[in-house]
Amino acid sequence: MTKKYDAIIIGAGVIGCPIAYELSKMGYKTLNVDKLPDAGEGSTAGSCAIVRAHYSTADGVAMAYEGFKYWLDWENYLDNVEDEKGLAKYMNTGSILIKSQGHDWKKVQRNYDEVGVQYEEWSVEKIIEHVPVADLHEYWPVRRPEDPKFYEEPTQMLEGAIFCPEGGYVNDPALSAHNIMRATEAKGGEFIFNAEVVDIRTQDGKTAGITLKDGTQIDAPIVVNVGGPHSYLINKMAPGVWEGCNIKTKALRHEVMYCPSPDGYDYLNDGYHMSDGDIGCYVRPEVGNTFLIGSEDPECDPQEWVDPDEFYSGKGGHGRDNVLSDEQWKAQCYRLGKRIPSLQVPNQPKGIVDLYDCSDDWIPVYDKSDLPGFYMAIGTSGNQYKNAPVVGRMMAELIDACEKGLDHDNEPFQYKFKYIDRSTDVGFFSRKREINYNSSFSVNG
Amino acid sequence: MQIYVCVKHVPDSAANIHVIDDIRIDPNLAFLLNPYDEHAVTEAVKIKEQHPEAEVIAVCLGPEDAENTVRSALAMGADRGILVQTDSIFDSIETARILHQTITDDGVPGMIWTGKESIDAEGMQTMFRIGALLDCPVATNVVQVALGDNKAVVDSERVGGVVYTYELDLPCVLGAGRGLNTPKYPTFPDVVKSKKKPVKTVSLDAGASSPDGASMKVVKLEPLIQTRTPKAMTGDPDTIAREIVTILLQEAKVIS
Repeated sequence: MTKKYDAIIIGAGVIGCPIAYELSKMGYKTLNVDKLPDAGEGSTAGSCAIVRAHYSTADGVAMAYEGFKYWLDWENYLDNVEDEKGLAKYMNTGSILIKSQGHDWKKVQRNYDEVGVQYEEWSVEKIIEHVPVADLHEYWPVRRPEDPKFYEEPTQMLEGAIFCPEGGYVNDPALSAHNIMRATEAKGGEFIFNAEVVDIRTQDGKTAGITLKDGTQIDAPIVVNVGGPHSYLINKMAPGVWEGCNIKTKALRHEVMYCPSPDGYDYLNDGYHMSDGDIGCYVRPEVGNTFLIGSEDPECDPQEWVDPDEFYSGKGGHGRDNVLSDEQWKAQCYRLGKRIPSLQVPNQPKGIVDLYDCSDDWIPVYDKSDLPGFYMAIGTSGNQYKNAPVVGRMMAELIDACEKGLDHDNEPFQYKFKYIDRSTDVGFFSRKREINYNSSFSVNG
Repeated sequence: MQIYVCVKHVPDSAANIHVIDDIRIDPNLAFLLNPYDEHAVTEAVKIKEQHPEAEVIAVCLGPEDAENTVRSALAMGADRGILVQTDSIFDSIETARILHQTITDDGVPGMIWTGKESIDAEGMQTMFRIGALLDCPVATNVVQVALGDNKAVVDSERVGGVVYTYELDLPCVLGAGRGLNTPKYPTFPDVVKSKKKPVKTVSLDAGASSPDGASMKVVKLEPLIQTRTPKAMTGDPDTIAREIVTILLQEAKVIS
C-alpha cells in the first residue's frame, strides 16, 4: 500500500531536519527521506559549522544573528528532547573579522549597525593581545604558492578588525542534525534512510509524491527539496521546476584543512573564529588543538564543479574526487602560515573534502517552485549552516502560507523573526531573482 | 660531518590508490615524504643544531615529481638535496646500490639516516644493504641517539617494546623509528628559506650507478580493499563499556 504524508522532505541534513521539525509542530505529518544511513551524514557532516554574523547583505546578517539565539538555547529549541548520541554544543569563541581588502567590511559594519549586532573595533595591538601568535602584516592580494609573488615580503600593516563577542561554531554538525531529527520524531515526524529518490510524481499539474530507487512510491501533496549538493538533480526530476528557476545550483568541491596549533598556543581553548580576507582563509578551533582552515574562495583558486555521485564515490581523479589535494593543502596552510608564522605545516594533508550546493550568486534559494506543492531550500553555498534553525521555521511558515493560497511570487511572504525585532522579505531568496551583485560570491555569502 | 638522509617519495596513505599497468601506483596521486623519513630528517637536523659544523643532505631516488619530497626535507631543515631521477622501479638491492653510490660520490658520510621502513613497499631492507655496501654498522627502529667521540649510542626498539642499547662506530646507518622524536614540520618562514636551498638532480642514466639487472621485480600490484563493517552499540554506558572490553579481549586480542 502506498504510504501518505502531508509533506515529504528530501534530505535529512541540518536544513531538512528543522523544516520537518517546524512543519511537525504545525501539525503536518512529515517524512524525511535520505539516501545516506543517518541524519546529517551528507554535506552537513563536512560543514565547518561556523556561527558568525557577517554577511554582505543586511538580510543575511539579520538571519545569522537570529540564528545565534537558537544555538544559544539549543535544549529549549529541541523542546528538551533526549538524543542517545548526546547533544551538539555551540562553542561561543567570539568572531574576528579582519579589516582587509578581501572583505567589504565597511558594508558588513553598516549591516551590523542596521541590524543591531554587538561588536567592537579592534586595533592591530588589540588583536595581538588576544591572538599573540598573529603577524598582522598585509599580504593582499591572495595568491597561490605556485606564484613566485606569493613569497614576497609584506610592507604594510593591516588596519585592525571587527570583533563580535557572539560567534563561534557548533562542535559536531552531524550530531546537530541528529538532534533535530529526534526532536522531529518526538512531534510525530518520520524518517527513512538509505532511500534514494528517483522521481517526483505529479497529478493534474500538482505534486503527488516521490518514487524511491527500489520502486516504493510515497504520496504527499507537498515535497520539499533539501537535497544539498544533489539539489539540482532533484529539481530536474520535478516537471518544470529546474527550468523555472532563474537561479540555478551546482555542486562545488571544497577542501578544509586541519593543521596543528603552534607549540605553546592553546588555540582550542583560547582561540577565536577568524575570517581573514587578506589571506583568503577563515579558521576556527578543532579538537586536538588544531586549526580548522577553510577557504574564502579567492579568485586565484580553481573552482571544481563536479557530479556529486561521482565525487562521493571517489571517482573523478586528482583534484576532482573526495581526497585532499597537496596543492590546496599547501595553499590554505601556507596562507595561514603567513598570518601565524609559528604554524607548523605537516607534509601529509589532513582535512575534509566535501561539496557546497552552490547557487549562481552564493545566496540560497528558499522558495516555492513552478510546480504547485514543490518547494526548495537549496543553494546554501557553504554559508547556511548557522541559519538552519531559522530557515526551518521560515520555510515551514512559507509552505503553510503558500498552501493556504498566498501568491508568494507576486506578494512575497514576510517572515517575522522570533527573537530579533525584524522581518525579512522571503522574496529575497526567490528562484526568480536576478543574480544579486551585492553578494560576496564566496562562502561569506 | 656530513649526515645523509635517504628520503622516499611515497603515495599519501589517505589517497584513493589506483594501480596502473598492473605494476605501478598511479603517479597522479598525492605523493609525499615517507612518514618514517620525517623522523630521520628531524633527528638529523637536531644533531646539526648540536654540531653546527655538520651538513644535512637529503637524498632521494625517484621520478621528477620527487623533487617535492626533497623540498619537504629541505623545508624541515636539511641543507641541500640530491634527486637521482628515474622513472624505473627498483628493489631494495638496487636502491641501496644507487643511494650508496650517490652518497659516496657526493661526500664522506658520518651518518646515514633512513626511515625504519617505507609505507608503500615496507621492505625494511635498504638501510641494511647500504650498511653492507659501506661496510659499517646498522641499527633500525632507532628511538634515541647520542653522539660520542666518533661513536653513536643508540636505543633500538625491538619486538614487544624491548629496547636494546648499542654503541656503533661512525659512520653508521640508522633507521628512524616513530618513537625517536616528534617530526618538526616547517613553518611558512622555513618554506620560504628552503626555496633558496639547492637540489642537485642526477639523471640515473648519466652514470650515477649501473645496477646489474633487476634482482627482484614487481610482477603484479593489487590494491587491498578493506571493507568496514561498523556496528552501532546501544544500551546504557555500563553495557557498552562491557561490550567494548569483550571485543578488545576476544576479537581484537589487544588486552588480556
